Amino acid sequence: MTLLATYPSSHAALRAERRLKDAGLPIELIPVPRQIHSSCGFCLLVHLQEPDATLLDSGLEGLWRALDPEPGQPRRRYERHPSHP
Amino acid sequence: MNATHRTLDARGLACPEPVILTRKALAEGGFETLEVVVDNDAARENVLKFAEFSRCPVARVEAAEGVFRLWLATAGAPAPAPEVPSPASAGGAVVLVATEAIGRGDDELGRLLMRGFLFALTECEPPPLRVILMNGGVKLAVEGAESLVNLRRLADAGVEILACGTCLEFFGLKASLAVGRVSNMYEIAGHLLQGPAVTLS
Repeated sequence: MTLLATYPSSHAALRAERRLKDAGLPIELIPVPRQIHSSCGFCLLVHLQEPDATLLDSGLEGLWRALDPEPGQPRRRYERHPSHP
Repeated sequence: MNATHRTLDARGLACPEPVILTRKALAEGGFETLEVVVDNDAARENVLKFAEFSRCPVARVEAAEGVFRLWLATAGAPAPAPEVPSPASAGGAVVLVATEAIGRGDDELGRLLMRGFLFALTECEPPPLRVILMNGGVKLAVEGAESLVNLRRLADAGVEILACGTCLEFFGLKASLAVGRVSNMYEIAGHLLQGPAVTLS
């Protein structure tokens, strides 16, 4: 499983990317999935099972669990993470 | 050497010369087997790929001391102009990525958009048939590139990733290509004419 972290703006997502990368977190900057928001922004895919303190303190707007795609389906699905409603 | 055999010595020639000479020889015809001699991996791969496109069976490949001998069987007839590769599968588009950053305005934003685009491509259904990288686009497929992970996902999903050999050479990145394979202008031109093609520049 993977987490998805959203930020109030693409600039904020970029800043968080730098910070979290420096902290050694396994992250990827990706476009915000349509299921989450229809805007054309960026967010972070975080390859962790659960959020750590650095992630929770990175200026998050929202935190989601990214469920692996069903077989034959290309897209991940997302559900809200309880620690950041 | 007899009349039905011809040897084409393409040693010491850089891409795309060996492919050009092979194409010329096949178009001339008049022999049953064409033995192409090359001395580097890129030339070997490109000639073999070209033979495949030309529907020209490869009878034998020999490698010894860095020299490759490729026997192409032509059955004596001149080959049809083998410019356009046969469709590899139905429906898939070709995406030509001719830049490291999408659009003009701000390069940092452009690079960000490219990373986002390549990720989004991994979630598209159906996936593209192939992604062709030219000019600065080849920098996306080398060791250490942010987009490498997404190009690898595409490759794992069966998308063919092709990187322009001239471009890799120009940037001194030939040894750093980390996904896909080196291609040449003939193959790229053929693919672009084959079906729907989308260009990012």
